[in-house]
Amino acid sequence: MNFGFDEDQKSLGDTVAKLLVDYPALTAPDLVRPHSDEVWRGLAELGLFALMVPERFDGVGLNAVDVALAVEALGAGLAPPSILSTLAVTDLLVRHGSEEQQRRHLPGIAAGTCKFAIATLEADQGYDPASVSTTIGEDGLSGEKILVADAADAQFFLVSARQGGATVLALVDRTAAGVAVRPHDDIDPSAGSCAIRFERVDVGSDAIIGATAPERAIARLLDTCATFAAGALIGLSHRMLDTAVEYARTRVQFGQPIGAFQAIKHRCADMAVAVEAGRSAAYYAFWAVAEDAPDRARAASMAKAYCGEISRQVCSEAIQVHGGMGFTWELGLHRFLRRAKLLEHSFGDAAFHNERVLVETLAATGDAADHQLDAA
Amino acid sequence: MDFAYTPAETEFRMTLRHWLADALPKGWGETVFEPEDEDERAMFRLQWERKLHSGGWSGINWPKEYGGRGATLIERAIFAEEMARAQAPEGLNIIGHNLAGTTILRHGTEAQKKRFLPKIISSDEVWCQGFSEPNAGSDLASVRTRAERRGDHFIVNGQKIWTSFAQYSQWCFALVRTDPDAPKHRGLSFLLIDMSSPGISIRPLRQISGESEFNETFFDDVIVPAENIVGEVNDGWRIAMTTLAYERGPEDALGRQIRFKQELDKLLDTLSTQRRGNGRAIDEPSTRQALAKSIIEVEVMRLNSLRTFSKYLNGEERGPDASLIKLYWSHAAQRMYETALDALGPTAPLAGNDRDSARAGLFQLSWLQSKAFTIYSGSSEIQRNIIGERMLGLPR
Repeated sequence: MNFGFDEDQKSLGDTVAKLLVDYPALTAPDLVRPHSDEVWRGLAELGLFALMVPERFDGVGLNAVDVALAVEALGAGLAPPSILSTLAVTDLLVRHGSEEQQRRHLPGIAAGTCKFAIATLEADQGYDPASVSTTIGEDGLSGEKILVADAADAQFFLVSARQGGATVLALVDRTAAGVAVRPHDDIDPSAGSCAIRFERVDVGSDAIIGATAPERAIARLLDTCATFAAGALIGLSHRMLDTAVEYARTRVQFGQPIGAFQAIKHRCADMAVAVEAGRSAAYYAFWAVAEDAPDRARAASMAKAYCGEISRQVCSEAIQVHGGMGFTWELGLHRFLRRAKLLEHSFGDAAFHNERVLVETLAATGDAADHQLDAA
Repeated sequence: MDFAYTPAETEFRMTLRHWLADALPKGWGETVFEPEDEDERAMFRLQWERKLHSGGWSGINWPKEYGGRGATLIERAIFAEEMARAQAPEGLNIIGHNLAGTTILRHGTEAQKKRFLPKIISSDEVWCQGFSEPNAGSDLASVRTRAERRGDHFIVNGQKIWTSFAQYSQWCFALVRTDPDAPKHRGLSFLLIDMSSPGISIRPLRQISGESEFNETFFDDVIVPAENIVGEVNDGWRIAMTTLAYERGPEDALGRQIRFKQELDKLLDTLSTQRRGNGRAIDEPSTRQALAKSIIEVEVMRLNSLRTFSKYLNGEERGPDASLIKLYWSHAAQRMYETALDALGPTAPLAGNDRDSARAGLFQLSWLQSKAFTIYSGSSEIQRNIIGERMLGLPR
């Protein structure tokens, strides 16, 4: 047993972090959507998108743990969400895609030329991925999804929809007839969130992922996306902590750096404790996802619920430590606050995942009393 | 990163699991429980600790030459998990194992290691900690208990406070002033004191839980042989910092996590059966949210410790991460017991002797006890100073 990352994994995280520094527009104060093509190309040249693709499709055959620190760096650098969406779809295709689906998509993913967006949320539904009103019927796919990050960039949408008695995941070409993309007005325009309307879009049976056990594919997607979001949130939180600590070291009031005051020092210490606790939860989830561990769902939900909550605390405290400057547009802390809020509401919020943690825990401990009462 | 276990580690786990199944009393945790009387409970825990030792399950990762098992830190973590799983009792000689032993192992002479470590591991000798004084709490370096050198021994005079388990202890390690004229951190020494020495008296202190785990300990011309100093004269602060790093470190946190996990499981069980209106207590949505948070935080206590173990195994030094671990578990545990009382609803105020109390008042007692967590082993305020200054590099 070893709860640490190896040198390659650390090096990948460092390299991704360094690369993102070259794109200052990603974290600039203004809420314009940065052109993501160059970042994509940079990350593709680095080989990021090939990492989780099996070797027979021109990839490296690594897993979620190997990219965990890269995910953290992507979160810290406010990288385009399509990167994480594409990595999550890669994982899904590897685990649940048909041979044909793998052959069609994985080489393009490995080359960094194929982008995916995930369309699972609906305005009148909660976070349970199985509860959707979008349907695939005889006349095709119809319904409306919201908060599809980077939808304008993606060649393919991964869409959840009811088909027969089950909820399934379908890959839909963005150029298909009946697909209409509408950019949202939302808290973080840099994430490129869109609503997508599907009207009788033709969806062949070869577009359904994991058709024989769709609920397993959906659970896997939820756990992977929740874990990646948790990793991004904790990377972002760590960056906010660093920013606050740096400011507390240098900002002088009452004749001394404000970090010498316990009111500030202790806030920073609490933020550091929170970030490390979040990392413990997130890293374990990466491992559980990579290994498909029996407690995968519980681990992923723990990480997502907890890292979301921590990002709230740390972003708020970091702004507070900066005083009036923290509230200015030009300092740009609001970019992290906004992205964190968006991520909090992606792939299940804290309330959804907390409930899942409790249900999974009670199931795992063999809640005998539960069964007795249910039977009564 | 790999949470899988080697065959040797799995064998360690299964051997321990089978041993525990035989060693625990029949009906343990169901019909058989710890004694309610505080002294009886202490003796029960001491007997349990000695039983663990007789089975070879004490001093798990200590060297064999001093009576330990010579196992790895990973096996130490497995040990903690299995003790939690079996709902095994706590020990009494916690200070001996976690603090006295680790400090002597690190800084003691060979003679001290041979003399003291085997009896700590066997719990033949129980230890207490003589650090805090009425005027030296968070400002520990200002201790005033004096030790004067007279030939081949020291004469100790002064008062210690919050000395947990002093009433059951054969030995005490104490931070004492050997040079009153030196700057306060540089005039301290670390002494091992035989609690049966003439001149030591103990007065129990009653805690807010009603228990008297800790004491005031008075030293009146107590003679301590000079060979019972750990480290050099006036180098006691450095030695004490080692003690504190272990007191707050991952081994300690993992041991405590066992208890929190067990009590959280009991809470889930209690709430699953307790009726509330037309449903059960556990059906309350706000309760479910709070419980999930505690489940996560108790799990994170374990994961924090495992991550830190892995850092040590990969060659990193012990440092301020101990403060991070302690600050985390202490507040998380307090939140858990607040959640417990919230969740118990109308029955929460009922105490152990009331027939309607849940689990004989277990959660209420633990809730009261939990108020000490953020004070002892260095208050949260001290831990935050350490994290802020030594980990984050903020100015003093």
